Amino acid sequence: MASLITCPHCGVRPKEEFAIRGDASRGRPEPMDSDEAWHDYVYVRANPRGRTFEHWHHIAGCRRFLVVERDTATHEVYSVVDAVEFLQRAER
Amino acid sequence: MVRDYNNRHALEQKLRSAPTPPAADHLMVGHWRTIATVLARTGQEEAVRQAIASVPELSLRFSGPGEWLVVSEVEAPSGLMRHLEELCGGRAYVVDQSDGRAVFRLAGPNARSILAKGIGLDLHPAVFALGGSANVLCGHIPVNLARTDENAFELIVARSYAESLFDDLMRMGRAFDLTAAFSD
Ligand SMILES: [Zn+2]
Repeated sequence: MASLITCPHCGVRPKEEFAIRGDASRGRPEPMDSDEAWHDYVYVRANPRGRTFEHWHHIAGCRRFLVVERDTATHEVYSVVDAVEFLQRAER
Repeated sequence: MVRDYNNRHALEQKLRSAPTPPAADHLMVGHWRTIATVLARTGQEEAVRQAIASVPELSLRFSGPGEWLVVSEVEAPSGLMRHLEELCGGRAYVVDQSDGRAVFRLAGPNARSILAKGIGLDLHPAVFALGGSANVLCGHIPVNLARTDENAFELIVARSYAESLFDDLMRMGRAFDLTAAFSD
């Protein structure tokens, strides 16, 4: 249990309690956007090295979606916020 | 055709053997315990928490932001539902879980060492304070863990996982001669 994530609702927890959904920075296409846009959104994944934003679902804890800002190479964690707060910050 | 349905505790098969005298570390299985989930409406989280916390017989267990398990040792399920509806008055959704969950109470000087074998939470008395509670993984089973006394913890688990959790806890406690029995 080396990888620890500090959930804003539950405190420090091992990664085993989370399900990782992936990139949190890309927006969802509009319903009538092209098939290519939807295909990219649903199936195409980058595999970035370095600092990224990811959705982590605290499935065995508070069951909230979180946005974890971390380095994919070193697993240094820079910030963890609730996904709702992440959205509100992006809209501001 | 008329059928009779009998309420049967999830551990009735497991805990059939004659009770042995409890050792220093003992796992007590609450026979019938009244449990409900309360989910506050947006913006009503603090009001709902205060309303329920003002009743000493009701125990609040943190489950998520604005969401709790409420445990009562004195009320029947229908009584608790009515009581919670009165307290929350449309500010929260209340669902009875009394038949859906099982409650374990682990007490003894080695309770923390036993739990630490399966739970990745800091259980130090100064960190996990008396009255604290959290949703955690015990091995692969999601449970709600609460500290109810100096060296006593309650685990609330979904009924279908109760037997597996019981087996896991007994294995985790084997080094400390953990015993188990129904509470009444
Ligand atoms: Zn959490």
